[in-house]
This record gives sequence, C-alpha cells and structure tokens, in this order.
Amino acid sequence: MSWDYLFVQVANGAVIGVIYALIAVGVTLIFSILKIVNFAHGDLYMLGGYFAYYVITLLGMPPLAAMFVSMAALFAFAIVLERMLLTPLYDDATERKDEYGLIVTFGLAFFLRNIAVIAFGPFPLKPPSFIPGVQRVGGLIITNDRLFAGGVGIALILALLYFMHRTIWGQALDAVSQSRESAAIVGINARRFNSFAFGIGAALAAAAGALIAPIFSLAPDMGVLPNIHAFVIVILGGMGSVLGSILAGILLGEAETLFTAFFPDPTRALAYTNGFGLLILMIVLVFRPQGLFGRRHLRME
Amino acid sequence: MRGLHVYILLAAAALALVFADQLTSYWMHVAIIAMFYGILASSWSLLAGYAGLFSLGHMAFASIGGYASGLLVQWYGIPIPVGMAAGVALCCALGGLIGWVCLRMSGPYLAIFTLGFAEIVRITFATEDDITSGMAGLHVERLFDTPSRLPYFYTAFALLAVSLLLMGGIVRSRWGLFLRAIREDEQAASASGVAVARFRILVFAIASGFAGLAGGFYGHYLGILTPSLGGLDLMAVLVVMTVIGGIERLPTAVGGAFAVEFLLEVLRGDDQWRLPLFGIVLLLTMRFARNGLLTPVWLQFVRLGEARAAATMASRDVPQKDPGR
Amino acid sequence: MNKGAELIRGAGLIKRFGGIVANDTVEFAVVEGDLVGLIGPNGSGKTTLINMLTGHLVPDGGRVVVRGREMRDQPAHVYAAMGVARTFQLTQLFGRMTVLENLLVPGLTRPRSKWQAVVRRARNTLDFLNLAHLEQLHAKNLSGGQQKLLELGRCLMLEPAILFLDEPFAGVHPHLRDELIKRIQELHEAGRTFVIVDHDMESILRVSQRLVVMARGAKIADGSPAEIRADQAVLAAYAGL
Repeated sequence: MSWDYLFVQVANGAVIGVIYALIAVGVTLIFSILKIVNFAHGDLYMLGGYFAYYVITLLGMPPLAAMFVSMAALFAFAIVLERMLLTPLYDDATERKDEYGLIVTFGLAFFLRNIAVIAFGPFPLKPPSFIPGVQRVGGLIITNDRLFAGGVGIALILALLYFMHRTIWGQALDAVSQSRESAAIVGINARRFNSFAFGIGAALAAAAGALIAPIFSLAPDMGVLPNIHAFVIVILGGMGSVLGSILAGILLGEAETLFTAFFPDPTRALAYTNGFGLLILMIVLVFRPQGLFGRRHLRME
Repeated sequence: MRGLHVYILLAAAALALVFADQLTSYWMHVAIIAMFYGILASSWSLLAGYAGLFSLGHMAFASIGGYASGLLVQWYGIPIPVGMAAGVALCCALGGLIGWVCLRMSGPYLAIFTLGFAEIVRITFATEDDITSGMAGLHVERLFDTPSRLPYFYTAFALLAVSLLLMGGIVRSRWGLFLRAIREDEQAASASGVAVARFRILVFAIASGFAGLAGGFYGHYLGILTPSLGGLDLMAVLVVMTVIGGIERLPTAVGGAFAVEFLLEVLRGDDQWRLPLFGIVLLLTMRFARNGLLTPVWLQFVRLGEARAAATMASRDVPQKDPGR
Repeated sequence: MNKGAELIRGAGLIKRFGGIVANDTVEFAVVEGDLVGLIGPNGSGKTTLINMLTGHLVPDGGRVVVRGREMRDQPAHVYAAMGVARTFQLTQLFGRMTVLENLLVPGLTRPRSKWQAVVRRARNTLDFLNLAHLEQLHAKNLSGGQQKLLELGRCLMLEPAILFLDEPFAGVHPHLRDELIKRIQELHEAGRTFVIVDHDMESILRVSQRLVVMARGAKIADGSPAEIRADQAVLAAYAGL
C-alpha cells in the first residue's frame, strides 16, 4: 500500500462524494420545501446524463455546454412533473400527504426507469470525455474526467450556496426551506417556490448525471443506487440541511471508496460497499434520525 | 346469513377449482403466479393500507422465506412443508424485529429504512454465493415430482385461500379497527387505549410471515430462486399491483394483483411497454382515483350482495362487522 | 358531590423544550368528584401538563401517580386503560372511519369487552351526545362542534375515572357549547371527574368547582372560583398579558 494509492483513492472518493452531494442536495431541498421524499430523484439524475449524451452526439455540442443544457431541460421537465403530479400536496383536502408523495414519486421512478429502457436501450452508453487524458500520480492514474467532474461539481455547489445566501430568490429558497410559515408571512408565493425547488433539485441531479457519464457510462437503472445513497446522505446530514447534505455526501463518497479500496476480500468489496452505506443508513435512522444537522421531526405534517 | 356477494365469490372459486385442469400449462403458470402475488399484495395491504406502514421490504421477506426453506430442505432433508413453516417462522420473527426497530419511524423514513433493509438482503444473497449460489440461482427441491402444474395450482389456491381467511379474520376483528386507527392518527389511537407499539410490531410480523409463505411456495414451485426476488423491481411491481387495485382492502389488493399479472401476460408481445404502461396507470390512479380502481367496483358488488341479504331477512340490531372488507 | 380518593397526582413535574421550561416543578392533584378548570395565559404550560399526566409526554423531572400507582415511562394507552381519558386541543379523530367506529375503537380496548355489548354502549353514547343520526358518517365530515362531542364520546367509551378536556369550547357554536356544558355537568353528577382547559372564562366559571391557574410554566393559584377572582397573583398574571 503506497501513499500514491491512498492519494488516488482519496481523490476518487472526493469526486464521488461531490457527485453524491449534488444529488443529495436536490433531495434535501425538495424535502424541506415540498415536504416529500423524492423517490424519483435518481431517475432525474439518469435522465440528465442521457440528455447530455444525446445533445453531445446528436447536436455536436461540447460536453460542458451539454451539461448546462441538460440542467435547463431537466429543470423544465421537473416543473412539468410537479404541476402534473404534485399539486394535490398543496390541497388541504388531500389526506396523508406523505403517503401520497411517497407512492407518486415511487411510481414516477418506476415509470421513468422503464421508459428509459425503451427510449435509450438497455445497453450502456458512453459520451465522449470532457477532457481526454489522464494525470499521473506515481505509478497510478487519475483520469482528467474525474478531476473535471470534481471541479465542476464543487463549482456548482459553491454556486448554489452563493445563490442561497446572496440572491433574493436563493435567500427566499433558504427561508422557505427552514420555515414555510415564516416565508408566508414575508410574502413569498409558496406554490411557485415548490415548482422552483423541484426544478433546482432536478437540475443539480442532471448536472451530476452529465458529469459522471463519461466516467461510469449510462444505463437506464443507473439511478437506483445513487438514489439510495442520496437518502443515506440526506438522513446522515439531516433532512432539510443543505450543508449537511454536502458534508455527508463527501463523507460517504470517501468512506465508500476507501472501504472498497481497502476491504480484504476484493471479490466482495464492491457489493458490500453498497451495503456499507445502507448499514450506516439503518444505524442512523435508529439512533439519530435527525442526522448531523437536521431538525428533530420524523413526520411531515 | 352472508351476503349474496360471498356466495358469488365462493361459486367462482369452486368453478376455478373444478375447471383448473382445462387451462393450458402456460395459463396455469400465470394463474399460479397471480395467486403468489395475491398473497403478497393482500399481506402488503395489511401493512400499508390498514396500518399505514409503507414497507418496501416486503419482497425481501418473500426472498428470505424462499431461501430459508430451500436451504433448510437442502441441508437437513426435512420435508418441504416443514421447511416452508420454518421460513414463515423466521420471517415472522425478523418482521417483528424490523417492526420494532421502525417503531418511531413513519412514512418516508420507514420506506427508506425498509428499502435499505431489502437491498442489504439482496446484496447479501447475491454475494454469498457459496451458500446461496448467488445470481446463478439456488436450486430448490420442488414440491411435487410431476411435470404437471395442476398440483401447484391447487396448492397456491389453498395457500391463498387460507391466507385470505386468516387476514380477513384479523381485519374484521377489533384488531382491524385498531390498525386502521393507527393509520388514521397514532396519537389519538394511543389516547383511545390502543397499544400502538405492540400492534405495529405484530402487523409487521404477521405480514412478513405471509410474505415468507409466498416466497417459500415460489421457490418450491419454480425449483430455482435468485436474489432479484427481493429486489426493488419486483417490489415496485407489487406496489403497482396493490395501489392500482386498492390498497385499503384485501379483496381489491388481490384483485389488483390478479388484474396486473393477467395484463402483464396478455401484453407480453409489447414486452418493453408493459411496465411503463403500468407506471402511468399507477400515477393516474394516485392522481385521480387514490382509493384504487377496483374499490368502487368492489363496494358496488358488496352493496348488491347486502341489499339482497337485507331483503331476505329482518334488519338486525347490530351492524355486521364491516362487510366491505 | 362527595370528594373521594385521589385519582391522579403530578408531583414536581418538569418539562423542558430546548431552552424553554414549559413546566417548572408543578404540583397538581385531582381527587374523585373534582371538576377542575385549568386556566392561564397562552403558553403557560397547561397542555404540556396534561400531556404529561396522560402519558403523551415523558417528564424531565418529577413523577406522575395514577390511582396510587407510579407511572414510569408508560405509553399513553396504559393511562387510557387505567381510566385516564383526554381530548386534544385540535380534535384528533379517526377521520376516515365512521362515527360509530370512532367509538368502537376505545370501547374494544377495554379488557373482556364483547363486540355486541360495545356496539350497544357506543350507540347509547351517541344518543347521549345527540349524534346518533350521524352514526355512519365519516368523522371528518362532522362539523367542528360535533367533532368535539364525538371526541368526548371517545373518552366516555374508555369508562374513564377522569377526563382531561383540552379546549373543548374553542370555536364551538354557542348553542352546541351549552349542550357540551350540560353533558359535562350530567356526567359529573353521575360521578365522573373532570379537568378542563379553556380560554372561554365564562364557560369555565360556569362549570368549574375548583380553578387552577398557571402562568409561565408554574402553578400560581389553586382554589374556588371566588378565591381565584380575588387572587392578586392571578390578576397580575392576566394583566401582564
């Protein structure tokens, strides 16, 4: 075991962590503003990846631009979905809203996953690299794409944080995410906010999908595991805490990568890596359901 | 004197049994799988529709029941029914444990937790392939030696009937009222004297036991088990089936399972489009007919039955224990 | 009305929420036959006290004794089984269950209860509350006042020794409120004990034989309505509103 190996793994873990963070932040925003857990988030990530792929291969757009286009497209798509499916959540007559959100997003995930198989085919697709080539670390390699993904991911996260603390809309988002009631007093149109929040969440997921695609390639079910990881992260970081999601995301990414790298039995390592995250999830849910930064509520209403 | 609708159902069941051997082997298989899902859908509706506990780990229990029975029979040569019973017992115990762990969780948290549990089970079964043969599939001893599917049909039928009788008994008893009260308002239920924790654990144990029963049968019917039985894809299909039919009643849940399984087979030609189609039906159902598509049908059916029964005898002082369930 | 044994006692009850002390070493006892009005400005900790006395909240300090038995971390249903019934500030009914079913639930939790007998008792209770004609309606379709009555009915099905009513008169039409007061008085004559929290001073004074006043998490007065009216501390507390 060399320092180079450790360094590479830590770097890889950070990249994965940043990607996880992008996805998880969306889940947490959607939770704090719409008060539902979006079971379809992983599939928005998947769609974002595919959209970027097709924009690159069919329209010849450069990969980074394609990522932004994909973000915009998924933003719009998410708003359409929210208008079509989620409006009962704002209706007082709807009972058991968290059940509704659960089943509807679960059903949506099921639908998107399966329609993706038809639309994109079941075989993995790989878009061209953002930046071809590799960096050498001792005798080991990190692909430029990974570094790029990590960098862009961090930039997006910083942009989001800036947005939420420095711009009017972002601060409003922050306000509503912390307290719907006080937001209403200040005069923010909560309905429009729900669409906006759902859109932002989707856009971040789309970015993650576009960034990861050249590294791990695209498949219709690529969103399933990241979805679960997003839940682990959001619960670990505290449901409703953007900062918590970011930190926990990076933490989980590192932990998983290092776990895989150093687990004694290589044939089982990858499989149990996923289980590792889930075990953490279950432990956190039992002992500290509010996570690191979250608020102490287990019910939505 | 029961309502007319009960007699109609009994007659239909009798017909099904008598004419079963007329089915082609293919359709008999479809019917058997439909009944397998019927047990799963009804037990999941007990958990989710009655008690309000949206567990995504139900198929995982089917998987556990199947593997447990298959492996026990393989290692110790015990008779298959004993193996299946052991699988059921294991699932009851494990289900109760999960119910206990989840006591202070609700809604999405419970769903995520049970999702995590299901994935861990699936991953473990897939990875420990020295024991379970992993993705290659575990060979399970079949219940009957014959190539005919008929005895399996009768077995599935019997298991479904027994399951529905037991669950129906629970649902029509005071326990049914308590479970529904828990779903409506846990705090009010507790204030009304309902031992909420006890019932949450109990309903998890019972529902998981039935899932284990279904899984055990599945393994000894097909002769092979793979870890994907407990996976998210099949769990999603189960959710689709139960919600489309009607999550709050046993008959509508079973009806949903039958209908979706039947339609899945009928649409086999449009292989890829089947699932997205049902996805859309699910979304439309949730958006516009949240109680399920079969619920109004069932309620009408029951009302017709009740009207006849009332006409043939004087009305009684005491209401029937909710006949619609 | 003869005063009898002590039914429930909260001794030195403390409850904190974050930095706020909702109940600060509260002593509160109720004997059989009492009809207590629990009053005080908003935020004085009345509902918190009730929550602790009925098993819905675990005290941070002090003890709760029900009929001589000390209650340690028992869930609310144990209190209900021991005859401690309560209503909620915002009515919490089983909305999608029928009016009758709402009464069957508590009735059937009673040990050795038989279904038919419970149904009879439920129907009698509905008669008593003038809700019999609504038996098959889903509880969520009742008016606000009817819902309050139904919640009272749910308490009665527990065959309670003591009933805690949390704001039973809030938002209730005056006519229905008079009905409610009459029912409470009838039940009290028949031997039931009540603790009623409300802000409707007129109704509370009509109904109560004893008043307990809380302010900022502490009990500041305990006596007959006449005594309370003259109590300086009470006047100060309300004036400071």
